[in-house]
Amino acid sequence: MSSDRIFDVESVTLRFGGVVSLNDVSLHQNRGEILAVIGPNGAGKTSLFNSLTGVYQPQEGSITFLGRDSKPISIIGKKAHRVSSAGVARTFQASRMFSALTAFENVKIGAESHKGIGVLGAMLKGPATRRGEKTSDLKTAQLLDFVGLTDKANIVSASLSYGDRRRLEIARGLATDPQVLLLDEPAAGTNPSEKVQLTELIRKVRDVMGVSILLIEHDMKLVMSLAERLYVLNFGSVIAQGTPAEIRANDAVIEAYLGSSADQTKGA
Amino acid sequence: MGGFGHYLASHLVTMRKEFWFLFVGGVANGFLYGMVAVGYTLVYGVLRLINFAHSEIFMSGGFAGYFVMKALIGTSSPNGFATVYLIIIGIVAGGVVGAVVATLLERVAYRPLRKRNAPKLAYLISAIGASYFLFNMAGKEFGRYSISVPQPYINHTVFTIFGAPVQLYYIVILIAGVIMLLGLDRVVATTKLGRSIRAVAQDAETASLMGVNIDRTIALTFIVGGALGGAAGFLFGLGTGVVYTMGFTPALKAFTAAVLGGIGNLRGAMIGGLLLGVAESLSVVFVQAAYIDVVAFGILVAVLLFRPTGILGERLGRAA
Amino acid sequence: MKSILTHQLFRRFITAAAVLAVVAVMTGPAGSTEAPTAGFTGSFSERSSFFGFFETVRWVPFLFLALVFFGVWTLWLSRGAQIKSGVSQVMQVPRAATQRRPVRWGIGVVLLFVALILPHVINDPFWQAAMVEQIAVYVLLAIGLNVVVGFAGLLDLGFVAFYAIGAYVTAWVTGALPTPPLFGIHMDPFFAIPIAIVIVMVAGIVLGVPTLRLRGDYLAIVTLGFGEIITIFANNLYGITGGSQGTSLIPHFSLHIGPIKYVWGLAPVPYYYLTLVFVVIFLLAFSLLEHSRVGRAWTAIREDEVAAESVGINPLKYKVMAFAIGASTAGFAGVVTASQSNNIFPSSFSLAFSINILVLVIFGGMGSIFGVVLGALLIQTGSMYLLHSPPAGYQSSDLYIYLGALLVVMMIFRPAGLVPSRRRRREIVLSEAGEGHMNEVLTGDQP
Repeated sequence: MSSDRIFDVESVTLRFGGVVSLNDVSLHQNRGEILAVIGPNGAGKTSLFNSLTGVYQPQEGSITFLGRDSKPISIIGKKAHRVSSAGVARTFQASRMFSALTAFENVKIGAESHKGIGVLGAMLKGPATRRGEKTSDLKTAQLLDFVGLTDKANIVSASLSYGDRRRLEIARGLATDPQVLLLDEPAAGTNPSEKVQLTELIRKVRDVMGVSILLIEHDMKLVMSLAERLYVLNFGSVIAQGTPAEIRANDAVIEAYLGSSADQTKGA
Repeated sequence: MGGFGHYLASHLVTMRKEFWFLFVGGVANGFLYGMVAVGYTLVYGVLRLINFAHSEIFMSGGFAGYFVMKALIGTSSPNGFATVYLIIIGIVAGGVVGAVVATLLERVAYRPLRKRNAPKLAYLISAIGASYFLFNMAGKEFGRYSISVPQPYINHTVFTIFGAPVQLYYIVILIAGVIMLLGLDRVVATTKLGRSIRAVAQDAETASLMGVNIDRTIALTFIVGGALGGAAGFLFGLGTGVVYTMGFTPALKAFTAAVLGGIGNLRGAMIGGLLLGVAESLSVVFVQAAYIDVVAFGILVAVLLFRPTGILGERLGRAA
Repeated sequence: MKSILTHQLFRRFITAAAVLAVVAVMTGPAGSTEAPTAGFTGSFSERSSFFGFFETVRWVPFLFLALVFFGVWTLWLSRGAQIKSGVSQVMQVPRAATQRRPVRWGIGVVLLFVALILPHVINDPFWQAAMVEQIAVYVLLAIGLNVVVGFAGLLDLGFVAFYAIGAYVTAWVTGALPTPPLFGIHMDPFFAIPIAIVIVMVAGIVLGVPTLRLRGDYLAIVTLGFGEIITIFANNLYGITGGSQGTSLIPHFSLHIGPIKYVWGLAPVPYYYLTLVFVVIFLLAFSLLEHSRVGRAWTAIREDEVAAESVGINPLKYKVMAFAIGASTAGFAGVVTASQSNNIFPSSFSLAFSINILVLVIFGGMGSIFGVVLGALLIQTGSMYLLHSPPAGYQSSDLYIYLGALLVVMMIFRPAGLVPSRRRRREIVLSEAGEGHMNEVLTGDQP
C-alpha cells in the first residue's frame, strides 16, 4: 500500500437481500487526485459512495482511508459521523441542505460539528466557547467567500438556486476539514453557466485547499475536463479504469453505455 | 420415596393443567389482540403511520356492544339460538360503531393533514389529541366507572383439555376471531378493495397513476380496520366489562403484536397477536400478575431494538 | 345543476353546525351508563343563559354561534388572504422590535417583575396554590419537554416518568420511603434537587441510548410504555415505594445557613418564589443552549439526520442529550411537588400528565421558548379557572376533552403553535411543499 494513496478499496461486495449492489469492487485514489466514477444509472455509484462514507456496511472486502498523517483507517463498520470526523466529506445526489436554516448556519454546523459537545460550556458561554464561536464564524465566512456565496449568507437555504445549493453543500463539506470530498452528481440540475463555475470551484478546492476529489457525474463533458483518472462501474462491477483519453477509447465502456442506457451519454 | 414420587406426579398434573388453562386464555386474548393489531397494520400499510387513536375505536365498539346487549337482554338470561344471534348482533354493532368512529377519525384528524402533506409528527400529535378527546368524551357521556356487559349466555365450561376448563366465552372469541381474520385475509387477498389496499401500501403514487382512488382506499381501510377493532372491543367487553379507558392497554398490546409480526404485514399481525397473547398469559408463571403489562412492553422494546421488521417482515403488499 | 346537498355553502353550513354541535356536547351536561343519551340531549335541550342576556334552551345560542362561525368562515374564504396580509403588516413593527436583543431582555425583565409581585396582588388562596402547583411547575415542565419535542424533534410521551422519579428520589433521600434513605440520613429536600436531577438524567440516558435510535412513532410508544411501567412499579413495589398508598412523610424545604434558618411551610408563596428562581435559571440555560452549537446540531438532526451525520454530528449522542436535559426539569419539578405537598401517590403519575405537558408545548409552539411559556401560562390558568369556578355540567376530567380537541385543532390550523419558532414554521412550510427530509427522520423511510 503506497503512502500517497487516500482511499484503498479492496474487493468490496455489498448486497441488499438477494440484490448485489457492488460486486467485488476494487479501486484506489491517490492523495490530491481528482478521481471520477462513472457508469449508467443503477451501476452502483451511489452505493459505492454510501459505502465509502459509512452509510452502508458492505458484507465483504475492505475500505481503507488514509486520513490525516496518512494513518490507515478502516471505514467498514464505522458510523457515518465517525467517517466524517476522520476526514471524509460528501455531498448528496439530490442536495440535502438543512433547508430551514440560512446558508451561513448550514456551513457553521459543518464547521463546529467536530468539536466536543460540552453542554455546560455551550450554555454558559464561557470564554472558550466564545472563542470557538468566533473561529467558526470566521471559517464559515471564509468558506462562503471561497464558494462565492457571501452575498447569500443570510438566505434560507431552501430558497437558493440549484447551483447555489450545490456550492453551499461543498462549503458545508469543506467546513469539516476533510482530506477528501465526495461529490455525488454535483452538476445535476444546474444550467450551463453554473456548470462552468462549478467545474472551476471543484478544481479550486483541490488546488487551493489541497482536498482530494472523488466525483460521480453523468455529465461527460464535465467529467472528462475535470477528472485525472476514471473508474467505470456497470452492474456493480468495475469494468474499466484509466485516464479520460483511455476511457474514451475503451470498447467495454462504450458497450456499457450504448448497451444499457444510451440516453445517459446525451449529456456529454 | 413413594410419597415424593406421588407428590411430583400430582404436581406435574397440576402444572400441566395450569399450563393449558393459561394457554387457552392466552389464545383467546391473542385473537382479540390480532383483531386490533390488523387495524394498526392496515392503516400503517396505506398511510405509513401508526394510528394512535385505534384504542378509542376499540373502546367505542365495546360501548356499542354494551348498549345493544343491555337493550336486548335486559335481565333475562338467554341461551341456545338466542345466544348465537345476540353475539352476532353485538359483533355487528361493535363493528359498525368502530367503523363509524374510524371514519370520523380519518376525516377529522388525518385527512386535513394529508391534504396539506403535513410532517408525520403532526399526524401523531393529532391522533393523540383525537384519542384523548374520544375516550374522555365517552367518560363524560357514559360515566367513568367500569360496568359489566349483560351476558348473552351463561358462561360455563364446555369441555376440558388435560383437566383445564375451556369456557364458552373463549370459544365465542375463537370462532368469531377465526371467521373475521380469515375473512379479512381473503378480502385483502382476492377482492378489488384488497388489491387497491395492497397497491396503495406498496406505492401510493404509482397506484394513483394506475387509477386507484387513494382517498377512497384510505377511507375503506379505516372502515375495515375500525370494524374489526370495534368487534374486538365488544368481545373484550363481554368478558371484562366496559369503561372509557378500556382501549388503552389492549391497544398498546395489539400494537406490540403488530410490531412483533412485522408492522404492515396482515398475517404477521394475526400471528403476532396469538404469540403475544400466549406469551403474556404464560408469563404469569414467572412474574406476578401485576407485571404482565411490563412483560408485553418488554417484548415490544426487544422486538423494536433487535428485529424492528418483526417476524414476517414489513410488507402489506407482499404478505397478504 | 348542483343539487342542494352538494352545494358548497350548504356543506359549509353543515360542517359549521356539526362543529358547534360537538362543542355543545363537550360543554354540556354529563350522562351516565343508566342514561347514556342524557348528556347528548341535555346539551341541546337544557336551559341556560344566552350570554347573560336571557335564558333559553341551549341549542339556540349554539345555533347562533354556528351561524356566526359559518359567516366568519365564508368571510375568511373570500377575504382571508387580505386579512392575513393586513395582520402581518400591522405585526411587522412589533415583530421586528421583538427580534432586537434589548427589547427581548426588556420584555423578560418586565415579565419577571410581574411574576415577582403577582403573589402580592392575588390573595385568593386557591390561586396562590395554583400558581405554584399548576402554573409555575408546569411552565418549568413545558420548557423542559420543549427541549425534547421542540429542539430535538423527539415525541416523548413518557415525560411523567422523570417527574415521578424526581418525586420518589425526594421521598427516598428525605427518608419518607420504606427503603432506607441514601447515606442512611434523612436529608433536606434541597439535597434532593441535585441528586434527583442527576438520577433523572441518568435514567434519561439509560432509556435513551437504546430507544432513541428508533423512528419517531415507535419512540412515542416506547416512551409512553416507559411512563406506564414506572407507575406499575411504583404501585407494586410495596417494600420500596410504599405501593399504591404512596407516602405522606416528605418534609418541606428548609435552609440552615449559619444563623439563618428558614423553613418552607404549608404556605404556597415561598414555594412559588423557589420555583420561579429555577424557572428563570432553566429558561436562561435553555435559550442559551438553543442558540449554541448544541442547538444548531439539534436543528440539523431534526431537519435531515443523514446530512447531519455526513458533517460529523452523532445523532444519537445529541438526542440522548436532549432527552436527559429535558428530563432534568421534570426531575426538579418532581422534587418541588413532592416537598410542597408532602406526599406522593403513584396514581398522580399518569399518561394524562405527560399529555398535558405535551399540549402546553404544542399549543405554545414547539421549539419556541417564549411560545411554550406563554402556552403553559394560558392553558394552565385556563384549566385552573375551570377548576375554580366550573361552568354548569363541567367535571374536572372534562379538561382532557378540551386538551385533546385542542391538539387536533392546532395540528389542522396552526401546527407551529401560537408563537411559532421561526425555524419550526419554516420547516413545516417546507415539508408541506415537499422540501427537506423531515418525514424520513421520523419514519425511517430512507430512499
